[in-house]
Amino acid sequence: MNLAHSQIGRNAVPAEPGLAIEVRNLVKAFYDVSGDRITLAAADVNFTVRRGEFVCIVGPSGCGKTTVLRILAGLEQLLSGEVRIDSTVPPAMVFQEASVLPWLTVAQNVAFPLSLKGVSRQKQRERVDELLQLTGLTEFADARPHQLSGGMKQRVSVARALVDDRDVLLMDEPFGALDEQTRFTLQQELLSIWERTGKTVVFITHSVDEALTLADRVLVMSPRPGTIIADLAVPFERPRDVVELRRDKRFWDLTYEVWRLLATSPER
Amino acid sequence: MTTPHLSLSPEEIERLKAPARRDHIYRILSYFSPLLLLLVWEAAAQAALIDRRFFPPPSAIAGTGWQMIVSLELFEHIGATLRRVAVGYAMGAVPGVLLGLFLGLSAPVRRVLGPIFAALYPVPKIAILPLILLIFGVGDASKFVVIAIGVFFLMFYNTLGGVMQIPQIYLDVARNAGATKFQTFRRVALPSALPSIFTGLKLAAGSSYIIIAAAEFLGARSGVGFFIWASWQTFAVSRMFVGIVVISVMGYLTILALEALERRFVPWAKH
Repeated sequence: MNLAHSQIGRNAVPAEPGLAIEVRNLVKAFYDVSGDRITLAAADVNFTVRRGEFVCIVGPSGCGKTTVLRILAGLEQLLSGEVRIDSTVPPAMVFQEASVLPWLTVAQNVAFPLSLKGVSRQKQRERVDELLQLTGLTEFADARPHQLSGGMKQRVSVARALVDDRDVLLMDEPFGALDEQTRFTLQQELLSIWERTGKTVVFITHSVDEALTLADRVLVMSPRPGTIIADLAVPFERPRDVVELRRDKRFWDLTYEVWRLLATSPER
Repeated sequence: MTTPHLSLSPEEIERLKAPARRDHIYRILSYFSPLLLLLVWEAAAQAALIDRRFFPPPSAIAGTGWQMIVSLELFEHIGATLRRVAVGYAMGAVPGVLLGLFLGLSAPVRRVLGPIFAALYPVPKIAILPLILLIFGVGDASKFVVIAIGVFFLMFYNTLGGVMQIPQIYLDVARNAGATKFQTFRRVALPSALPSIFTGLKLAAGSSYIIIAAAEFLGARSGVGFFIWASWQTFAVSRMFVGIVVISVMGYLTILALEALERRFVPWAKH
């Protein structure tokens, strides 16, 4: 492959106006020294996300979707291709597993990004109170992470990602480890937060159901080396009700369509 | 609680609680079992079953100890030993923790400098004591240095191990939140390594007392180690035992204090 090298630069704004994220010909590979083996994680990934849009990426496990998200977050370097993000600040990330720092209380965890930037304590407290309220954590402000359930911990992660109000929110299977009921609750809450804040969201999941519940658009990835094989618009009106959605016939038609794509996409 | 719950009969409740009650009795007995050893020792010494020259009865040792407490002689030695341990401990622990954090976070530095520490670590600290006495003289400086060296390696390796076990996700969180290198060091690496650092502090406290005892045997005019050695030279066996008990109790209390600090500063870890 003979593509230009590129890094995520603050000035690398997407060419087209209205786009928040533009990914062109993204290639990522890992090199394993001991086995002298190269693993192609993502091959020629192309997609764009409009400002304020909620996009879900679904794909089988190991397809490289997390890798793509980590590259967007600047946690990993791409091998070639281009990533452009229209923002003066790097995107905020909500991680897959419990990423809540165990030595801090809930409020301190939420305040963490602000405290690094030297925001005054008074301002930190105001902003943290706001987010604890938004995520239903107010009465757990002084709790330690080990006292919280899995769902509560992910609420803390979401609050922390929102606290410094960045334009783009990246979510890496944030509800993957939760039981179904808790997941429903958090999906509903995330939708209402998104409707209020108008953030650009890229949300990774292996659950077709979750993708259709949340997204404006679903990108389907092939097995490794991952590439985008379909880009489907999700037509449901907003605001959505995660339970009521399931009465809509289009929901099941789309579910079927995505599953066909996932089931028939060949291993490359 | 003794709320008669649901419809359990008093007999059922009794059976339910019996194991916990038994555990409680065992725990109380466990406090007294060391006393039993002392009683057996006392009886054996009084009955001349063991040689009183080597094993004076505990009552005689306690009597000697009491005299030394009253005459304040003991406190002078405790003070000297405590000061040497405290200074040497701090001199070793601070650079040990800082270098452990530094090498733990930087793979290139670890690869390049790691072998230096690995090569120096196995040198027995007591074996280099004569060399240190030669360089730093018989005063307190040589005691500080030999303890610092022993403490340094324990702190260095425990901190390094702690840092290398930090879940990658915590470092990712720090990076995504926009932490600088120094902020990652202080706000993430240090707290995540704290449980291992405390393990190191406790190990180092134990070995500090081993080292100081040996160091005071060789070149000192005060300290509990010196006192044990001087008692040996005059064949004052009871006084020797007093010294042994005192330095053991000092080590034990130090570790208790560190455990209290650990509960205070690492409230998220399981104790």
